[in-house]
Amino acid sequence: MTDGGSAVSTDEPTLLSNVSDEFLGSLLFWLPPFLLMGFFVYGAIGWNFVISLTETSGFGGVDYSQLDIEQYTRAFGDPTFINATTNTFVLLITFTAVCLAIGLLLAIMMDRKLRFDNGFRTIYLLPMSLSFVVTAQFWLWMYNYDNGLINIIISSLGFSKYQWISNPDLVLSAVIFALVWQFSGYAMVVYLAGLRAIPQEQYEAARTDGANTLRLYQRVIIPQLKGATISASVVLMVFALKAFDFLYSLTGSYIPPKGSDILATMMVRQAFRINNQAYAAAIGIMLFALALAIITPYLTYQHRRGEL
Amino acid sequence: MSTLKLDHVTKAFDDGSEDIIAVDDLSMTIDDGEFLVLVGPSGCGKSTTLRMLAGLETITAGEIHLGDRVINDVKPKDRDVAMVFQSYALYPHMTVRENMNFGLEESTTLSDEEIRPLVTETAEMLGIDELLDRTPDELSGGQQQRVALGRAIVRDPEVFLMDEPLSNLDAKLRSDMRTELQQLQGELGTTTVYVTHDQTEAMTMGDRIAILNDGVLQQVATPLEAYHRPANRFVAGFIGDPSMNFFEMTVQDDRLVTEQFTYPLTRKLRDAVDDVSQVTFGVRPESIELTQATAAIDHESVEFIAEVSDEHSFETIVDVVEPMGNENTIHLSFSGADDATFVATIDGERELTPGQTVVAHIPESEIHLFDGETGLAVHNRLRDESEATESTM
Repeated sequence: MTDGGSAVSTDEPTLLSNVSDEFLGSLLFWLPPFLLMGFFVYGAIGWNFVISLTETSGFGGVDYSQLDIEQYTRAFGDPTFINATTNTFVLLITFTAVCLAIGLLLAIMMDRKLRFDNGFRTIYLLPMSLSFVVTAQFWLWMYNYDNGLINIIISSLGFSKYQWISNPDLVLSAVIFALVWQFSGYAMVVYLAGLRAIPQEQYEAARTDGANTLRLYQRVIIPQLKGATISASVVLMVFALKAFDFLYSLTGSYIPPKGSDILATMMVRQAFRINNQAYAAAIGIMLFALALAIITPYLTYQHRRGEL
Repeated sequence: MSTLKLDHVTKAFDDGSEDIIAVDDLSMTIDDGEFLVLVGPSGCGKSTTLRMLAGLETITAGEIHLGDRVINDVKPKDRDVAMVFQSYALYPHMTVRENMNFGLEESTTLSDEEIRPLVTETAEMLGIDELLDRTPDELSGGQQQRVALGRAIVRDPEVFLMDEPLSNLDAKLRSDMRTELQQLQGELGTTTVYVTHDQTEAMTMGDRIAILNDGVLQQVATPLEAYHRPANRFVAGFIGDPSMNFFEMTVQDDRLVTEQFTYPLTRKLRDAVDDVSQVTFGVRPESIELTQATAAIDHESVEFIAEVSDEHSFETIVDVVEPMGNENTIHLSFSGADDATFVATIDGERELTPGQTVVAHIPESEIHLFDGETGLAVHNRLRDESEATESTM
């Protein structure tokens, strides 16, 4: 075994011993993190799934005697769950789409040699570095009925003031707007990198081919940003699923403003306030499935392009 | 198809503190259907000129006429010119067919049914009809190059603008494409402006070539005219490979004098340099006749004296021999002056060895003389009389 790697070795299974040598030698390096990761992440997910099949409530012992999918059927008959799911999807899709659109627009403006573009880039990206707690507080002030900046502006324009946070019909849009403010800078940076990778000749070729600016972007430039769009949207969607922090910080409790309940807030409320542990676990699993459904096509795309 | 006319065109780039003149007062006319090659070293303004023709750069001063309209402020999309880029600039997300469709879709009102046969026909002409459904990343460099050409040709524009389209190809393919491109242009008869830094491409492809240096037009002439009757020292040195040999000389009585050698002039040539005191003496490598001094070994000094007694022959030493197959490039230096080297080409069959002494004969009929200060040609080698009287530039 000691000379297993040597070409003149007379040991028959040279290749095999070679492989196992390397395998054993490297074990020390990858096995501990592998086990830790497996136990604490995937083991915990598995355990959570098992809990979701029980009837557990509270944080006492778990009774594993009867496993069924009752919590899942319960969810689909629960109007709160349906409402939270709808809100999650509205938030996910609107937030991502608007972020991408604004990010693309900003990136194109930046790319067209705006003056001080480095300064602007920092300004647009800055909100992303803030914590959700900070931005939630900030937007609470912005949306304040009596002296929030938004209401001051619209009332000075002659419109009546709005209850941005406490009106259930408005709160989700208000939250989306705030999140877009925070994350469109990220979309911009991703798009800007994509745009900078497109050679100048592409623009020139399209122009001499007779395309005007709109057509040039529509047919030549934006289609080449497909990769940037995909990676930006995956990250944005994952942020949207995590919007719990933001909503939690708006009220400082497990009950978000009426009309802005999403799966994440509902799950935490069920687990820690109403003590429906099994139900919360089921919601958690469904949220996890949703995240997987978002990220899998991206990973497949990356894999197919050989970047993974 | 139209005549393209540049009228005192100047391009200055603003570099913060000072303007950089990229193209300086350039005037020339490119005839309908002509293949004009813009050639010059890097940074001479040839690409900038092409980009001004395409409308990708603004014009600082002067006018560009296409046919009878001034196109200074016409946007690229409205100029009806097609450009082929060095990098090809194919749209990577489109198939070859979509790439070729694009220009027609954007610049004409043709329907998809009308575009389809046009694209197919052009693709067949270029031999890329098999590739129509592929995307650029599935093509070789040569195939991409053809698609880039096809994209320009299918539009049937008034002018083709080509920016070093062959320089990304390997040598063999490049020389094939050179021939093919020339043939194609001849068949299509479309006015073409072709930019290159490669003087071989310029010589072989152009109906006429325009040589630029430092943004200033040096000469517009047919390739042979530029070769045999260069307007100035720059053109003489740029066109031709290996380059012309130059010596800085002083006019003294009826002789040209430099440290290494003295070159007597006949009456006619002496008149040509009447107004100048300093001249640049030029002679092409293939005009130098080398006489092997081997004969001198047999007859000792007798033969040798006979050789150099010709006043236009000089004793030289072979420094380096570069065999090219069909010819040998010989680097020579004057005996006793190692720093004054020059190059001669001889038949590939003849063998010379470094260190050997040879006699270089520089016939007076072959020499070029340029004004030592302005660089302008005061005398070019004699070819037939009709051409000698024709004026260049």
